[in-house]
Amino acid sequence: MHRLMRIPATLCAVAVTAVALSGCGSDSREERQVTVTGSTTILPIAEIAGEEFEEANPDYEVFVSGLGSSAGIESVSSGSSDIGSSSRELKDEELDLGLVDTPIAYDAIAVIVHRDNPVDGLTSDEIRSVFSGEVTNWSELGGPDLEIGVVNRDEASGTREAFSRIVLDGDRFDPAAAILPGTGQVRSVVANSVGAIGYISLGFVTPEVKAVEVDGVAATRANVIGDTYPVRRVLHFFTVGPPVGAAAEYVDYVLSSDVQEGVVSDAGFIPYVVERD
Amino acid sequence: MAGSERDMRDAGPGAPGPREPGSGSGVLRQTARSQYLKESSLRALFLACASVAVMGVALIFLFVGLRGWAIFAKVGVVDFLFGSTWLPTEGEFGIWPLIFGSFAVTIGALLLGAPLAIGTAIFLSEVASPRVRSILRPAVELLAGIPSVIYGFFGLIVLRPIIADMSGGLGFGLVTGWLILAIMIVPTISAISEDALRSLSPGIREASYAMGATKWQTIYKVLVPAAKVGIIDAVILGMGRAIGETMAVLMVIGNAPVVPAGVSEPFSTLTTTIVLDMAYASGDHRTALFGMAIILFLISMVLVALVRSLSRFGKQVG
Amino acid sequence: MNKRVTNWIALGALWAAALTTVGVLGTLLLYVIINGIGALSLRFVFSAPEGVRMEGGIWPTIVATVYVTGLAMLIVTPIAVFAAVYLAEYARQGRLVGTIRFAADTLASVPSIVMGLFGLALFVEALGLGFSMISGALALSFLMLPIVMRTTEEAIRSVPKYIRWGSYGLGATKWQTVRKVVLPAASPRIITGIILATGRAVGETAVVIFTMGTMINTPMLPLDPGRSMTVHLYILAMEGINLPAAYGTALLLVAMILGFNLLARFIVRRNRRMMG
Repeated sequence: MHRLMRIPATLCAVAVTAVALSGCGSDSREERQVTVTGSTTILPIAEIAGEEFEEANPDYEVFVSGLGSSAGIESVSSGSSDIGSSSRELKDEELDLGLVDTPIAYDAIAVIVHRDNPVDGLTSDEIRSVFSGEVTNWSELGGPDLEIGVVNRDEASGTREAFSRIVLDGDRFDPAAAILPGTGQVRSVVANSVGAIGYISLGFVTPEVKAVEVDGVAATRANVIGDTYPVRRVLHFFTVGPPVGAAAEYVDYVLSSDVQEGVVSDAGFIPYVVERD
Repeated sequence: MAGSERDMRDAGPGAPGPREPGSGSGVLRQTARSQYLKESSLRALFLACASVAVMGVALIFLFVGLRGWAIFAKVGVVDFLFGSTWLPTEGEFGIWPLIFGSFAVTIGALLLGAPLAIGTAIFLSEVASPRVRSILRPAVELLAGIPSVIYGFFGLIVLRPIIADMSGGLGFGLVTGWLILAIMIVPTISAISEDALRSLSPGIREASYAMGATKWQTIYKVLVPAAKVGIIDAVILGMGRAIGETMAVLMVIGNAPVVPAGVSEPFSTLTTTIVLDMAYASGDHRTALFGMAIILFLISMVLVALVRSLSRFGKQVG
Repeated sequence: MNKRVTNWIALGALWAAALTTVGVLGTLLLYVIINGIGALSLRFVFSAPEGVRMEGGIWPTIVATVYVTGLAMLIVTPIAVFAAVYLAEYARQGRLVGTIRFAADTLASVPSIVMGLFGLALFVEALGLGFSMISGALALSFLMLPIVMRTTEEAIRSVPKYIRWGSYGLGATKWQTVRKVVLPAASPRIITGIILATGRAVGETAVVIFTMGTMINTPMLPLDPGRSMTVHLYILAMEGINLPAAYGTALLLVAMILGFNLLARFIVRRNRRMMG
């Protein structure tokens, strides 16, 4: 999300953590601290939920840093963090670390085009060939004879990382595609350029743009939760064993409807909890 | 002002004590020596402060240089500067597309902005009545003070869709960058050109009018040639401003790290790539960004040196 | 006849150039004002951004901007004024002065992004000041230094020579003359230069983004991080999710810059009336 916020926020969180940890040795204080390290995609949720959690429970402190999913998994399994946040599944070699998975949200990505574009659906292969620059005209996709204007995200973007992993499958993005460092700009550029195509988190899709069906499945909440919409991933909190103490309360808070319908949805993600109700 | 005269003989805090008349020549000499010491240590302090500018340049060179030079060693100067592929995450560090982008957007902006700025300067200096001038000049100065993010914001929200409609593309690209940058360099070029024109002696204007020349003939045949060096300085400094501009350009050029296929296709510059990539770059990639900063720094230094040698040349000729 | 026509056409073109320049300024200001005025409210100014969409206000970014530019002004003013005193009153033309002037000119034309990376490398990382107000202020002071130096030097040079002679004639030393006569006489123009340089620092983005960070925080201590108004506007504009807040921020920024300009102009004008 706020890519520029990440480095400083990370450094600050790390610095604050270090100061806080060295500053207070007493066990009771430490039990009231939760450290969350990991995915930059999850950073805004974890941070804002953390602030709200602190407000509701003034005794507790939540330290959040975004260093990437792998760093989060390593950090939690080595014991330096209470929670490792990850926007990917565990790799084979990470399976026997004894980590317990608490899914907290879905990150689904909609492929968006101009509302007047007659193309309603694309296959994963077609999307891949558009974003890698092989296909450059809508007529090759059953549309009008119109050049495709590809809108990509910047490399610091978690959405780009997910889209690349799920859709591009090892192919490179077309280097000549426009790069925009923000969701809202991708949406507004696609909304007023007839030939444009871009991708944004499903939660940010508005009627200004049209989300196309992918492999025949519409980009809707129901299809994401029902696991039929292909361009999606699950966001995880990993803990060593089931979460306990302050970490458990924080995780419960993140799974509460306040956060799920609040920050999680505001950040463009799909709540995970709804499925279980 | 009145107070300062009254205090004239007060040496200020730290000065040696009483100075009643007739308190002895020994005291007087002491006073003189301590006065001398004070004066010369102050002089040293002022020199030290003046040297902060030199120190600043040296520190920039040192710290940006230290962080960046390794990329030249690692990739090779030629491959770094003229390599055609910028794919830092895969270890390809060719910045030619970015250098191309920086110069392409700068030159176009100069072609559009310089005539506008010089025209504005001539207008303010030669054509405008004092009343008109007193309104327009502050306005041009204000243009220089507007933050570049605001230019970028305006370019992104207002100008880009217009260019998109006209070109049929996304509206990110050279044309949008040219228009925004051209406006941004107008105040720089205009202010310096106007100074150059106003510093000409009024005599040459009068001489020209006396020979029956029209206002335009005077401007075109007499004043502009006479102020030529100053105007060229202005354009060079405007070029420096354009090539170093970051935020406004970043928001309107689409940021694809390639040599664009057309004037309304996305591209990148050195400055915009630094801002976008610093958010996540590490290792060699980060080094390369500092390497790009070295190049920008050198370019701006060369431009300043050019201006200085030009004005020295101008003084010799004039 | 022919030369008359050419004259009129050319003068028309000059009018057009000037009016285009001013027209663009007018358009820009009107656009920002019209779109931003609706977002302005006491709550917008005095409350903090909330949540992912940054609803609410921009107070922490205003505090950070004022804090960092104020600090930079405090750092740069004595150094730049003393440096200008040296150049105008003490130095003799020579290699040393040539080097100082070249350095000042270079500093004035260093791209702000380079200054940002420099601040990151030296203040944030090497000196360990972290993303903080003090790192931002130090980097900004290098940006402001040549501006204040130049305006101060010009101001000092414009003080008539005979005023100095009067002072020397009364037996004052050089420093006494500078401190009691020259600097007071030059002060309105010096203050104007400081104000304009501070206004420039308020509008700076690329320097502060790498030296004070982008965390939304109301800074208290010099070592606290924070997000400036310009950085906030940049992020809001690029995220594009809360454009009203972006317009509001832009309007406040423009108002601040306008305020700085008017203040500088007011000081010059008042002084001119007093002197003249």
